[in-house]
Amino acid sequence: MIERYNVPFSAAESLESLNPFVRKWFVGKYKEPTPPQRYSFRLIKEKRNLLITAPTGSGKTFSAFMAILSDLMNMAIENKLEEKIYCIYISPLRALNNDIYRNLSVPLEEIYKEISIPVTKITAGIRTGDTPQKERQRHLAHPPNILVTTPESMAILLNSPRFAENMKELRYVIVDEIHELANNKRGVHLSLSLERLSEQIGHDFVRVGLGATLHPIEEAARFLSGYKDEHTERDCYIVDATWDKKMDYMVMSPVRDMINASDALVENSIYKTIDSIIKENTTTLVFTNTRSGTERIVYNLMKRYKYGEEHIAAHHGSLSRDVRLGVEEMLKKGKLRCAVSSTSLELGIDIGSIDNVVQIGSPKSVSRAIQRIGRSGHSFNDVAKGEMVVVNRDDLVECSVMLDAARKRRLDSFTTPKNALDVLSQHIVGMSQVKKWGVYEAYATIRKSYPYHNLEFSDFLSLLEYLSGMYVGLESRRVYAKIWYDEKEKAFGRRGKLTRLIYFLNLGTIPDAVAIDVITLENKWIGSIEEEFLSKLEPGDIFVLAGKPFRFEFSKVMKAYVSPAIGQIPTIPPWYSEQLPLSYELALEIGKFRELFSGALQKDGVGRGIFAKKRKLDKKSEAAKVLDAMPMDGNAKLAMQGYFAEQMLYAGVVPNEKLILIEKTYDGEQERNLIIFHSLYGRRVNDALSRIAAITIGEKYDADVAVNVTDNGFVIATGEELELSKKEISSVIEALNAADIVLLLKRNIRKTEMMKRRFRYCAARSFMILRNYKGRKISVRKQQINSEFLLKAAEEISPNFPIIKETYREIFDDVMDLPRAKEVIKGLAKKEISYKIIETDVPSPFSHMLVTFGSSDIIMMADRRKHLRELHRLVMKKLGVKVK
Amino acid sequence: MLLSKDVEILDGLPVLFIRPLSALVCSDLHLGYEGVMADSGSFLPKINLKNAKLILSKAAKETLPECLIVDGDIKNEFSKVHAEEFNEFSEFVGFVKEDLRIKRVILIKGNHDNFIDRLKEPLGFEVHTQEALLGDFLFFHGEELPRTKEGKFLAMGHVHPAISVYNNFGMREKLRCFLYGRLKDKREIVVLPAMNYFAEGVGVNAGENLEEMAPIFKKMLDVDKMEAFCIGEDETLKFGKVGDLKKLPFK
Repeated sequence: MIERYNVPFSAAESLESLNPFVRKWFVGKYKEPTPPQRYSFRLIKEKRNLLITAPTGSGKTFSAFMAILSDLMNMAIENKLEEKIYCIYISPLRALNNDIYRNLSVPLEEIYKEISIPVTKITAGIRTGDTPQKERQRHLAHPPNILVTTPESMAILLNSPRFAENMKELRYVIVDEIHELANNKRGVHLSLSLERLSEQIGHDFVRVGLGATLHPIEEAARFLSGYKDEHTERDCYIVDATWDKKMDYMVMSPVRDMINASDALVENSIYKTIDSIIKENTTTLVFTNTRSGTERIVYNLMKRYKYGEEHIAAHHGSLSRDVRLGVEEMLKKGKLRCAVSSTSLELGIDIGSIDNVVQIGSPKSVSRAIQRIGRSGHSFNDVAKGEMVVVNRDDLVECSVMLDAARKRRLDSFTTPKNALDVLSQHIVGMSQVKKWGVYEAYATIRKSYPYHNLEFSDFLSLLEYLSGMYVGLESRRVYAKIWYDEKEKAFGRRGKLTRLIYFLNLGTIPDAVAIDVITLENKWIGSIEEEFLSKLEPGDIFVLAGKPFRFEFSKVMKAYVSPAIGQIPTIPPWYSEQLPLSYELALEIGKFRELFSGALQKDGVGRGIFAKKRKLDKKSEAAKVLDAMPMDGNAKLAMQGYFAEQMLYAGVVPNEKLILIEKTYDGEQERNLIIFHSLYGRRVNDALSRIAAITIGEKYDADVAVNVTDNGFVIATGEELELSKKEISSVIEALNAADIVLLLKRNIRKTEMMKRRFRYCAARSFMILRNYKGRKISVRKQQINSEFLLKAAEEISPNFPIIKETYREIFDDVMDLPRAKEVIKGLAKKEISYKIIETDVPSPFSHMLVTFGSSDIIMMADRRKHLRELHRLVMKKLGVKVK
Repeated sequence: MLLSKDVEILDGLPVLFIRPLSALVCSDLHLGYEGVMADSGSFLPKINLKNAKLILSKAAKETLPECLIVDGDIKNEFSKVHAEEFNEFSEFVGFVKEDLRIKRVILIKGNHDNFIDRLKEPLGFEVHTQEALLGDFLFFHGEELPRTKEGKFLAMGHVHPAISVYNNFGMREKLRCFLYGRLKDKREIVVLPAMNYFAEGVGVNAGENLEEMAPIFKKMLDVDKMEAFCIGEDETLKFGKVGDLKKLPFK
């Protein structure tokens, strides 16, 4: 049973449950247990599975470790502590692992200092991809009592027979940063590892999950604890201490008027705002949403306000480990005035005390906003302080509603990917290496993992068939098969000598975004960029990395060569592929706010006059009543009023969650007709909606269509020849409900670029295309088989080939939010959601961001036979040749 | 589509038909490709051979040829014999001779493809190293210059020609193509596209250096003056001179 535990134990009760030596140390150090610890000490001692969510700085890690150290100490004193692994701590972050290891070694040392009698030492060890061979060997000979590791290393350890032997007495598994795992394939991978672990050692263990705010928290608890057997969930208690930390936050607009201010003015004001916040505080942490954004801010602050490298530094995943550790160290020592980070400092790495958190641009989810702001404040009892500096109009609306939702404790939800077949492929290969499995036995083990509880047996079998090479002729299976599988005997197991190595060298789910090393002409390593970014660079382009500008010279096999370009202005704009999607819940909140606020403006009698009052909102106005209740500064309120007023005056309509505005307009620059849908449901829903609409149009008019998707809506671009009338658009919308959406999408997703790209990723995760084989890293160039050909080849085997099936699943469930897109379409049919079509000469204010940003894809709908002709026509036109 | 008096491009196929010889010509099959790829960790479904059979079936049905000429790189690896290649190669020759009832199979091979020689007796096909002169037609693979000066019409493969085109939405596509033109000494020449399923092709109008790939482009042949014929689903269309196609915007 999953159950919330709402009444904490008293401090005394909690402390009493600890071993006397551990207690003495704890009290000497911290005096009192923190709120989460007042649940955890007792509950872990009672051997309960437990999920704790609490902000950073709440002693979360110790809330798990103290009870465990106490148990181990009791064993040590009774002389029962052996050289065995009793506790495994797993964190998705390698950096965090080093931290934890250090934070564990120090207390252990201090506790033992106080013990006068000879007692066996409790040991801790760390095992990640970075652990040297010598250390690994030592772990085998002398296993540490507490092992600190990552999900990937955990999966490797499962296939080491000696390690398995050392884990036989395992009692506890701690999964940290569970909010970074429960919503993705990496977490799914770990979930299977835990079930394999339990099966291998022949007993269950106490599972402790730690994380920041997440919703629905019960789902996270299920993810952590899984199933005892086919029907029964394992019990798990939930302790939610998210709201125990006080927070103070505010949306700040850099200018009073977001519409008429020039880009340069907005930009200048943003940097000015950040600068003044840094100057008012001792240590400021700035979050951006992208790595490139991080680079840009460091670069600009240094240039504009004369900060040196000793004052301000960037911290993100593309930087080398040494650079990152250096920044963390400087923060801890209180030497830096400001650190700028994308996501890397969001998680619980110890970075000392931060006065203030500044978020530039929307972090796209309430949970993330809370998590980031929560990094400030010296202790758990201090108030966390944060400012959100908005960068454009939609950002202003989004951030204001987000912080308002945070105050009302409304969180956005996550989902766990279910039945991911590519991740399961990896584990089946891993399992087959350990022993010979009965098919039903293996199926039952897999189904104990929450994400696979509803796995179809037929899907499981199709993976066994794929992995045993049944998709090629008998004579080739020697090379293709990764497992042995006997259909008649209903059993599978090891096959081939190379498979063990394939598993070790290729496991993991982190997307294959290929990192390109950036190196100076003198061969000095600067950092890395994504391959996709490299493809946009041309020799001579200036871009910013590690806070400094560089000129791109040339690229050669996975390396980009650059030279420093001190004082030069970057020529390459940031790239948007890294943008996170806005959550559905928050999107709805924004829709409701739009309705509320436009209603208020309506009552105020919005007119041109509204722009004359420049300094302040009219206190008695309805608009002020709405905005004064929200955490916004004066500029933000004025900017908000201006933005809405403009839209109302220009278009006469402010779209909201119950009213979709459809704008028919023309893009003169690119010579194409646009249909803009203001459907504010978040990018995942819009991704599905936009494709359904595009497909309907494409099929009806036998034309190729491009879509551009954002959180606030989507744009459908048809070529210059195809212009739909209002009536035709209307009938497209009516047609949406009649269609079998899943069938429609499935048949047509196939024709998109996304499908090809995702299929390649799934193929890599399913060990069909290896990154590393026979101990050799395989160059990306060699892997670069045209994705379209690859996909077609797989379809030749069967349209239900498991990797193809997984690709569709990933697109429907993880990339898009199909269920909610269906709800919207149903809402339209039932007239619960209405739509209005207008025609504009130039796009209305609310659609500017929609047209300019977002992720695009193309849906090739026109008959393939006509495709060559169309390209031919295009080429001839560009070359100025007339074709009859 | 007629390329020249006696030479026909079969619509939508990477195959030529030469009337006086009653011969189908194709190039760069790279049989055994998947097997070799599997050796380096990409376990591709097997489709190349199946696809080649399908293409030749269509071509043979249309033209009822007496002869098939493979203008080089019928298999993938350069020197060593790979089991997958051997199997697919035998199956391919068997299919052409028995199923398609094409009497004569002529292979142009590289200098090192030794195992092919050993098979010519049992399987029954002809082998020529680097080039073969049949009537007025000179078939050579292209990695070396032809040794003979004879032949009025030359056919080569090797470079996998394709045209890079940006479609309506700014996305790049590659279209496999034939290149047709005249050598500096005015003789006709055609470059065949690759028949291998997985070969995307080399964008001859997108800054790829052909001179490095095939010496004929160094002095004897100006690629810019050649005409590209791009292959679609069911038809093949003339896209014009490579030199002009190089002017298409690429960013």
